[in-house]
Amino acid sequence: MARLTSLLSAATVAACLALPASAGAATAIDFFFPVPVDGKLAKEMQRLVKLFNEEHPEIQVTPAYTGNYDETKIKAQAAAAAGKPPAVVLMSANFVYELALQDQILPLDPMIEADGTSKDAFMEDFWPALHKNAEFNGHVWAVPYHNSTPLLYYNTDHFQEVGLDPDQPPVTWQDWVDAAKKLTVRDGDQVERYGLTMSGSYDMLGWTMSALTMSNGGLYYNPDWGGEVYYDTPSMLGALTLWDDLIHKHKVTPEGVVDNKGVSSSFLAGQTSMVILSTGSLSFIRENMEGHYKVAFVPKNVRNAVAIGGASLVMFKGATEEQQQAGWTFANWLTTPENLGSWSRFTGYFAPRQSSYALPEMQQFLDENPDAAVALDQLRFAQPWFATYNTVAVRKALEDEVQAVLSGTKKPKEALEAAQANADAIMKPFVDSTALALPN
Amino acid sequence: MTRLTPRARLGLVLTGALAILWIVPFWWMAVAALRPAAVPVLEMGSLLPSWPPSLSSLADAWDSADFPVYYLNTTVMVLGILAVQLVTVTLAAYAFARLRFKGERVVFYAFLLQLLLVPPIFIVPNLITVVDLGLYDRLLGVMAPYFVSAFGTFLLRQTFRRIPVELEEAARLDGAGLLMLLRHVYLPLSIPALVAFSIVSVTSHWNEFLWPLMVVNSPDRQVLTVGLASFTQNAESASDWSVMAAGTLLVVLPLLVAFLAFQRRFVNSFVFSGLK
Repeated sequence: MARLTSLLSAATVAACLALPASAGAATAIDFFFPVPVDGKLAKEMQRLVKLFNEEHPEIQVTPAYTGNYDETKIKAQAAAAAGKPPAVVLMSANFVYELALQDQILPLDPMIEADGTSKDAFMEDFWPALHKNAEFNGHVWAVPYHNSTPLLYYNTDHFQEVGLDPDQPPVTWQDWVDAAKKLTVRDGDQVERYGLTMSGSYDMLGWTMSALTMSNGGLYYNPDWGGEVYYDTPSMLGALTLWDDLIHKHKVTPEGVVDNKGVSSSFLAGQTSMVILSTGSLSFIRENMEGHYKVAFVPKNVRNAVAIGGASLVMFKGATEEQQQAGWTFANWLTTPENLGSWSRFTGYFAPRQSSYALPEMQQFLDENPDAAVALDQLRFAQPWFATYNTVAVRKALEDEVQAVLSGTKKPKEALEAAQANADAIMKPFVDSTALALPN
Repeated sequence: MTRLTPRARLGLVLTGALAILWIVPFWWMAVAALRPAAVPVLEMGSLLPSWPPSLSSLADAWDSADFPVYYLNTTVMVLGILAVQLVTVTLAAYAFARLRFKGERVVFYAFLLQLLLVPPIFIVPNLITVVDLGLYDRLLGVMAPYFVSAFGTFLLRQTFRRIPVELEEAARLDGAGLLMLLRHVYLPLSIPALVAFSIVSVTSHWNEFLWPLMVVNSPDRQVLTVGLASFTQNAESASDWSVMAAGTLLVVLPLLVAFLAFQRRFVNSFVFSGLK
């Protein structure tokens, strides 16, 4: 009897000792990421995740490639609605506001403070221009990961050919139009080389219109409240009229909607002398350009100003405490100065942390690639990327109308009136429940 | 020797023109995929092959994504969907074609209604169902919503209705039960329709992008279309046309080869099935 009791006790103790092993299983989390550039980046991201998983055996991150920026938002929201929230998502920087508004993502303040710092101290290392798209209502909702500004890329061989100084890119819109006229090569009525080409693709088009409107003194949208956009305004009308004139009056820009690939291909092929593309294209252009090129700020009319582009890390609500902590560990690892610097050199985006540029590898990179420094210089003039209630639909309300102007089927003024009306209709539910929700 | 009438000759010319038009994109894709990497982008639009051809873009495309895994996953997915569909579609088609039951017309119209609904509106409800079934991030979760097919049911129902009732009655006189009826009478006579439906099913699911994107997270469970999207999706940057063409060729090639190998059978199936 005593022997049996002793045996049972021993078995119980053994069973208890076995528990820690099973309790130590890794915390599994999903990481959703878009790759708005080619396949090598998807592979590099998967390599980084594998490296993280090896260094942190207590966490198991599954990297899921999730399409483009818009598709990533759809997938993340659908997964969260289905009860499978991704712990970390690399989200277009201007979608953060809407996700916070809809209460779908976590404020990061508690995790920042648990690390023994304040949100202001945490954000201090990130470029000031990036703060607006990461913060809202006094909270930090996102960690900037890769960022960009639009740049003017120009073919310096073409500049020399027509007597323009390659070291003096156009600074003002007048300079820009004059240069485009000089650079355009015609054979009778046929254009053999366009002076300038800009993309009409969704997302890129809205972003380019932001840059032109801001350069024309405007704001594009209310950066402090998500229910207003400023489409039907003199600043945007001037910007769109410039683009319309470049096509239909000066005839130095191709008519119709040229997509992103068409823009970069024609630049590489020497069929256009100047293009507006993202800093995210720097690596690709650098590796593929046969002739000589340089980059410059987007020309200004009233002031230098462009919108930030790129993506930030957010954390979706609904994950367990352990998953949230694991996600935070992963997000911090991805955004160390070293990892951000490495990703920047690999992609062409600029690194969102200022301290990345203090690293010797980054200093050497900038010395060897002065074009990469131009996007940094332009940061002095960078504004937050437009973010509203229902950002994508509001953006497309404008893009659809601008595409009509580029195709010659509408005039700028009527297009912007329609864009404004359509955008206002889309934002009406939000407006009615906020600014127009008055005390009884 | 029959002389072609002017009308017949014109028909031939138009058909030839359409055939050339149809094949040009495929030709360009193959030519672009085999271009040496050093070819200037200006020449990328040309339909003339570069000489000597190069496999470097195909090698780059192959290296940029896990193609063997994608092929396996996509094949398992489309064949799995088809296998289950053939069972459910056959049974449902027989029920609608030959069984009498209360509300039969209403049920059939409800079935047809599915053909009019646009898949994207189902993403969240279907995803919730898939999660509840424990099939999230599984190929089976991608496949499950397609295990029934309104299109297939409709097609096969029409086919079954054209089979003479007398054949069924004769078989029943010989003691055939329902399953034997299907196996020995209806299915053998419906092979053209079944082949036509199989082609449509395999092709549409091979090419599907959004739903696999929604359901699958793990890289080792990904399918070809999502893998290919990492080449072609482009919001801020540029892409290498050769590698893009090579990636697309890798995705399209299996279906193209299958079509060429079985094209006579495919064409015959569409003709006899009334899908022309």
